[in-house]
Amino acid sequence: MSDRLKIALLLAPALSIIGILFFGGLLIGFMRSFNYMPVIGLTDPDLSAYAAVFTSKEFYLSFLLTFHIAFTSTVLSSILAIGAALLLRRTFIGRSLINFLFQLNLTVPHLVGAIGMLYLFSQSGSFARLGAEWNLISKPSDFPAMVFDPYAIGIILQYIWKEVPFIGVIILANMQSLGEDYESVARSLGANKWQAFIHVLMPLIFPGVLSASIIVFAFTFGAYEIPAILGASYPKALPVLAYQKYTDVDLAARPEAMAMAIVIALLSALMIYFYVRYTRRRIRS
Amino acid sequence: MTHVSIKELTKIYPGSAEPALDQLSLEIPTGELTALLGPSGCGKTTTMKMIAGLLAQTSGDVLFDDRSVLNDRPEHRGVVMVFQNYLLFPYMSVADNVGFGLKMRKVPKPEIDRRVAEILELVKLPDLGSRRPSELSGGQQQRVALARALIVQPNVLLLDEPLSNLDAHLRFEMRDLIRGLQQEMGITTIFVTHDQEEAVVLADKVALILDGRLKQYENADVFYKRPIDEATARFFGGQNFVSGKSNGLVFESALGKLALPEGAISGSGKLTFRPENIRINATKTDENTLKAVVNERIFLGTQTRLRLVVGDEKLDAIANPNEVENISTGDSVNISLPASSLWVLPK
Repeated sequence: MSDRLKIALLLAPALSIIGILFFGGLLIGFMRSFNYMPVIGLTDPDLSAYAAVFTSKEFYLSFLLTFHIAFTSTVLSSILAIGAALLLRRTFIGRSLINFLFQLNLTVPHLVGAIGMLYLFSQSGSFARLGAEWNLISKPSDFPAMVFDPYAIGIILQYIWKEVPFIGVIILANMQSLGEDYESVARSLGANKWQAFIHVLMPLIFPGVLSASIIVFAFTFGAYEIPAILGASYPKALPVLAYQKYTDVDLAARPEAMAMAIVIALLSALMIYFYVRYTRRRIRS
Repeated sequence: MTHVSIKELTKIYPGSAEPALDQLSLEIPTGELTALLGPSGCGKTTTMKMIAGLLAQTSGDVLFDDRSVLNDRPEHRGVVMVFQNYLLFPYMSVADNVGFGLKMRKVPKPEIDRRVAEILELVKLPDLGSRRPSELSGGQQQRVALARALIVQPNVLLLDEPLSNLDAHLRFEMRDLIRGLQQEMGITTIFVTHDQEEAVVLADKVALILDGRLKQYENADVFYKRPIDEATARFFGGQNFVSGKSNGLVFESALGKLALPEGAISGSGKLTFRPENIRINATKTDENTLKAVVNERIFLGTQTRLRLVVGDEKLDAIANPNEVENISTGDSVNISLPASSLWVLPK
């Protein structure tokens, strides 16, 4: 048996699962987005589902909200993660413990974090009650709306809480493998600490930051559960809107849900493409 | 141009009981090229980093022209360090790497371009400004690193193992380039090396550091002729050490009585002499003649190493292959140890 065949046979179980479940599902979704769903009598493909998506005001509002959530979460998480990595790479007493605590919530599911956020930051949550108890606000409902709010503060906080350690761990590993010699060279050539960071360390860790932030952007743009738990009822994040359409009692709404899902995936890919191009150009300049 | 004084400089790393550098004191005159020589881990690079302000000292002081620079930030010391692995910024072109220091000093762009072109010419890389470091050979990268350091006209230049990553032929080329540029620009230069030959060829003075302590700080030839102790002599390739007693004029040992040069110490000690100073096929008129048996003969290309036995003592000699071509293992030969090549080390 040739080596190629052996490799193909060994990979076959994993590839068939990916092929059938992922690409199969994608294909069905793609077909349905073109209004092709024979089970309910839709046998003539057309673009009506896409037309419905692109003429809906709700879709555009949802898109803006989702973009705001993904972009703000990614940028803030990346900035905070870089700051955390800069602190954690230093040698200090108790560094191992701090490092462990920093990475601890990587193991906590998003859903648990979202419920925690709900308990802490909602207008009936712990902080609102404490604020009222300590007379910082007259009643819990005076607590600023950070959950179910139109600016998605709760959702962004939840993503930051979860993604800072994720990006931070990648950057920290990157920084540790680089060491401090490049910055030392820059310092001895006349760069101050800030210049050494901006002109030397940032470009060096940039590939790591970029990879991690792309993952975070793609995830936060397409994630359903957190906006579903912590989001406002209007406008909804795109994945929530798509799921709502998908679970509509009227099966005829499914093509629109699928069209929306396909649009989310394409938009996500497109934005990542422009993000990578823009940031690479910025860093080169 | 700066006179560098290092006063009892000590570094103890956190969690370590032993100092990495123990009370090092050196005076490095303006415009001189000094080598910090020693094996890996002896504290050489630690010393350089403390001079550059990249590492805090545990105690001691660093003075430039009699002014302590301990409170000066690295970017204000006027010291540039060239690291062993060059550390060119991989995402910048050669020209941007070289101009980095000027850019940090906010020198106008046209001025940077002009000076970069000049310095690249000086290091003989005039056409490589647009290349990336990954497109350069090791020797070219070393030149770029040197150009990047020299362009800011430092008061003190620190070179960490400047030749260790280069091939033999490039070493000669770089050695001449470094020496030439250093003398032309008159920059006080300190370089670190573990290679005694490199130190001897390049430096005005050599500071030998062993186990974090300064062993000897002298002109290079002194290390060969008058080493301070056995460890120093061994570091410089010393092979012959014979225990005995000196009265300052004669050394008495298993080799017999040997006349000593002026200045030799008295008392118990070890006689040392370099393998290349043993004269083979000596005549009776030569000084300190002995009879030896050739135990082993090793051809080294340009030299031949002879392992000799005199009584119970084993000696190492190095000779010109033509002079010893008729000598075989087991032969008995007359050897001479000229008094001027002998030195007594304290026990």
